[in-house]
Amino acid sequence: MFRSISKSTLQHIPIEINGKKVNVPEGITVWSSMALSGETTTRLSPVTKQQRSAYCAMGVCFECLVQIDGQPNQQACLTLVRKGMKIQKQVILENTDLVENGDHIVEGGTHDK
Amino acid sequence: MINSYDIAIIGAGPAGMSAAITASEAGAKVIVLDDKKFAGGQIYRNVCNSPIEQVNALGPDYLKGRSLVERFGQCSAEKISSASVWHVSNSGEVLFSKEQSTTKLTAREIIVSCGAMERPFPISGWHLPGVMSAGSAQVMLKSDGVVQDDAVFVGTGPLLYLIVAQYLRLGVRVKALVDTTPKTNYLDSFSSLPGALNEYPTLIKGLGLLKEIQKSGIPVYKYAQDLAITGETSANGVKFQSGKQSYNLSCDHIFLHQGVIPNLNMTRSLSLDHHWSEQQLCWTPTLDSWGQSSATNISVAGDCSGIIGAEGAEHMGRLVALNQLSKLGIIATDIRDTQALTSQHRLLRFNRLRRFIDRLYRPKEDHRIPTQDTTVVCRCEEVDLATLRQEFERGAQGPNELKMMSRCGMGPCQGRQCGHTVSELLALWRGEAVKEVGYYRLRSPMRLLNLTEFSDFSHIEPTRATDTSQVQIQEVTR
Amino acid sequence: MNADALIIGGGIHGCSAAYYLSKLGFKVTVLEKDWVSRHASGVNAGGVRLLGRHPAEVALSKASMELWANLDEELDANTGFLSRSHINIAIDEADIETMNQRQAEMHSLGYFHEKLIDQKELRERLPAIAPHCIGGVVSEVDGYAIPYQSTNAFRHAAVRLGAKFIEGSVVHNVRKVGENWLIESSQGQFEAEHLVNCAGAWADKVAIMIGDNAPLSFSAPMLAITSRMPQFISPVVGAVNGVLSFKQFENGTVLIGGGLKGFADRDKNQTRLDYKKMAANAYHAADFFPIMKTASINRMWAGIEAYMPDKIPVIGKSLNADKAYHAFGFSAHGFQMGPIIGKMMAELIVNGSPSLSLDAFNISRFEANKV
Repeated sequence: MFRSISKSTLQHIPIEINGKKVNVPEGITVWSSMALSGETTTRLSPVTKQQRSAYCAMGVCFECLVQIDGQPNQQACLTLVRKGMKIQKQVILENTDLVENGDHIVEGGTHDK
Repeated sequence: MINSYDIAIIGAGPAGMSAAITASEAGAKVIVLDDKKFAGGQIYRNVCNSPIEQVNALGPDYLKGRSLVERFGQCSAEKISSASVWHVSNSGEVLFSKEQSTTKLTAREIIVSCGAMERPFPISGWHLPGVMSAGSAQVMLKSDGVVQDDAVFVGTGPLLYLIVAQYLRLGVRVKALVDTTPKTNYLDSFSSLPGALNEYPTLIKGLGLLKEIQKSGIPVYKYAQDLAITGETSANGVKFQSGKQSYNLSCDHIFLHQGVIPNLNMTRSLSLDHHWSEQQLCWTPTLDSWGQSSATNISVAGDCSGIIGAEGAEHMGRLVALNQLSKLGIIATDIRDTQALTSQHRLLRFNRLRRFIDRLYRPKEDHRIPTQDTTVVCRCEEVDLATLRQEFERGAQGPNELKMMSRCGMGPCQGRQCGHTVSELLALWRGEAVKEVGYYRLRSPMRLLNLTEFSDFSHIEPTRATDTSQVQIQEVTR
Repeated sequence: MNADALIIGGGIHGCSAAYYLSKLGFKVTVLEKDWVSRHASGVNAGGVRLLGRHPAEVALSKASMELWANLDEELDANTGFLSRSHINIAIDEADIETMNQRQAEMHSLGYFHEKLIDQKELRERLPAIAPHCIGGVVSEVDGYAIPYQSTNAFRHAAVRLGAKFIEGSVVHNVRKVGENWLIESSQGQFEAEHLVNCAGAWADKVAIMIGDNAPLSFSAPMLAITSRMPQFISPVVGAVNGVLSFKQFENGTVLIGGGLKGFADRDKNQTRLDYKKMAANAYHAADFFPIMKTASINRMWAGIEAYMPDKIPVIGKSLNADKAYHAFGFSAHGFQMGPIIGKMMAELIVNGSPSLSLDAFNISRFEANKV
C-alpha cells in the first residue's frame, strides 16, 4: 500500500475516484491521490483489456491515462488534484461500443469550450 | 508586429534555470517554460516546497538545489509554469498549452533542457501493475510525500541506491535490494577511476550510500541476473539468480532502475542530428562544445544533451546561455570565452566522473535487449518480442518499418519506452551497429494533445523592454 | 540492366503499374529515389473513395473499386481494405442544393452509385452525429485501406513476378538511345524500351527530362491521428461543404484529413505543418460529432503531394516522346485509383490501348490553347 508521509498541516480536499468520495492532500498529483486511495488501476489496456497502472510517475510512460471530469487521456501524474474533481479509470477498448460507454459521450451539438 | 524573445528555454531543471539566470543577467529577453508548477526539474523537484517534514533525509545533494531555485525565481527571465510545450520548430516557434488552450511564442534562440528519463527495463512482466521505476518513487516522495512499504528495489546505478537510502532514513520498510551490477563492471570501470578521482567527494558519497544500505540490515542480493517479474494480472514477485542460487521474492511492489537516458522526443521532432553513445548506451543529440545542435538556433543543455548530472547540467546551462548571448550580439565573443572557462573546466571533470559511473553501472545486455518471447517491448500497444521478430523476418528492417507493421512505437508514449530497445534489437538482428539502425521518425505533438487544448493560438511577446545599455555578466562564484 | 519497361517512382501508381505489367509478361524495373511508399502513397489518409469524384474519373474509380474488393486475394497480401461506405454530410439548404445538382449530373452521365439520404437515415447510419446535420449522400462500396501496406502489397506481388525495385536511386538524366530509353541514376545506368513517369511530386522534373512540360504544383496535405476512442462511427465521413474528412479504424483511432495544405520542401523531403489551420480543421470534426471533443491527437504529419491546375491527374502517353508514359498529379485523391491506373497503364503499354479511356487525362490538354 502507498502511504503518505507528508506534513500533517497540509489541507485536504474532497475529490471522487471511481465513484468513491475521498479526501486527499491539496496540491498532490491525481496519480498520488489514486495511489493513496488504493485505486491503482488507471486504465484497462485497449489491446488486452488487462489492468494497467502508472510506471514512471513523471509523464513519459503514459500508463496513467485516466478520465478526469469527462475528458479522457489525462496523465494522472502530471495533473494536480482540484476540489470536486471526478477521476475515473479509463476504459477505451478496441471495439468498445459507444452505447456501453455512455459516459464518454459529450453532450451538445455545437462546439463549446 | 509581434516581438520575439531572445531566448526561450524549455525545462526549468538545473540546466534551464542556470541558463535563464546567465542570460537574463546579461539583459536578454528570456522566457522559461516548464510543465510543472514549481521549478527544479526532476532532481530538485519541490525542493522549495517540500510536502515532507524530514526533508533533510533526502540528502545534501537535493537540498543544495534550493539556492539555485531561489536565484532562478529572482532572476528577470519571464517564467511560465504548468506550460506543456507540444511543438518546437527550428524557425524558433514554440507552441505550448496551458489551461486548455495553445499559446504561441517566437524566440531567436531556443534551449532545449527537458532533462532525462529512466532507461526502460524490458524484462518479463515489467508491464504489470505494481512495477514502477525507481525514479517514480523519487518523484512521488519529493513531490507528494507518498511512499510504498515493503517494495523490492531491482537494478543498478546511483539513483537506485539513493532512493533506497532515502526510504530507510524516512523509516519506510524496504524488503530487499537486488543489485544487477555485473561483477565484470567493477573490473571494466577500474581504468576510468583515476580520471574520476578529481570528483572524489561524489565517489565518497556513493560509497557512503552503499555502506548505509548495508548497515541497515536489509537483504542485498548482488550480481543478480535472469530477472523476471512474476504475476498474472499484477506483480506478485520477482525471480532472479544471485551467486549460484535462484531466488523468488514475493512482493507486490517492485521498483526497477538501470540508469537514465536523455528525454529526446523534442530533439527528435526537430529533426536534429543524433548519434549513438556507446558509453552511455543511448541516443544523444549531436552538439558542438557550446551545446549547439545541427540547427543553428537550437541548443541543448543538461541531461537532455547526454547524462551529465545536476551540477554538470548547471554548468552546461551557463555555457549554452553564454554562447547564445554572443550569437545575439549581447556579449562579445571574448567575454563569452572568458566567462565560460570555469564551467568548461568543471564539465571536463564531470565528464571524467561520468565515464567511470557509466562503466561501473553499465546495464546488462539482457536487461536492455529482451530474450523472452513474451516480454512486452511496446507497452502502449502490447507488442511483444515474438511479434517484433516475426515482422523483422517478414522484411521490416528499420524502426519505422517495424512501427508501421507492428504498431510498436505508435502508442501515446511515442516510443519513449520502446525506442531504445527497438534500436538495440534491430542492431542485434541485423548484425550492425546501432547507429546504422536509427530511431523512430518523430513529429509534433510531443504528447497527446486533446482537441480543447488544440485551439486559440494566442501569441505572447516579451512584456518588458530591457535596457541593454547596462549589460553586466555576473562572475560565477563557486 | 535492360528491361521492357522502366518505371520512375515507387508509390502506389508505380508499384501497381509494375505489378500489372509483370502480369502481362513484361520485364519491369522500378527506380525509387527514397524507398517504396516513402511519400504520399505511404502517409495519406487511406481513403478508398468513389463518392464525389470528378466526372472524368468516375468510370476509372468504379473499376478500381472492383479491384479493391478482391485485392488481398489478387496480391496475396493484407492491404487492410475495408468497405464501410462513405457519407458526405449536409448541414444546411445550400448543401442540399449542392447535393441535388450533383445528383442530377451523375444521373445524366448514367451513374447511380451516390444515394441521397434524409436526416432520419443519416442518424441511423451515424448515431453519434450532431443534431444540426440534416442529410447527406452515401456511396456504399467506399471504405479505406492502409496505404503503406497496400503499396507494398503491389510491390511484393510484382517482385514475385520478376519485377526489380531499386531503392535510393535518384534519376539524373533520361535520353533516347536508338529505340530505347537510357536512364542515368545514382544507382547506375538502366535501359528500357518503355519509360513510365510515376514520380509523384517530382514528376514534372521527370516529364521535362522526357520532353514534356507539366504545370505541376506540390504541397503538403496535413493529417492527424488520435489515440483510441470508443467506436462511434463506421463509415468514412466528409462534409458536402468540403471542410471535414475523417474515419475511425478498427483499433479505435481516428484519422482526421481534409487535404488542408501545409508546406513541402520537395528537395529535402521535409514538410512543415500549419498547426493553426489544423486546429480549425479538427474543430470541424467536433462540430459534426460532439464526441470528438474528447479526442486526443497523437501525431500530425503531411505527405508531399502533386497537384494539377484542373485537379485531375495526368495519365497516358507522353505528348512529345515515343514510348514514354505518365501517371502523376493525382491532387490528393490518387490512392483509390492506384489499382486501376496500374492496370490501364499496363494495357496501354503492352496492348497499345487501355480498356477504359484515359483521354481526359492526357498531358496534351495543357498544350491545347495554342496562340
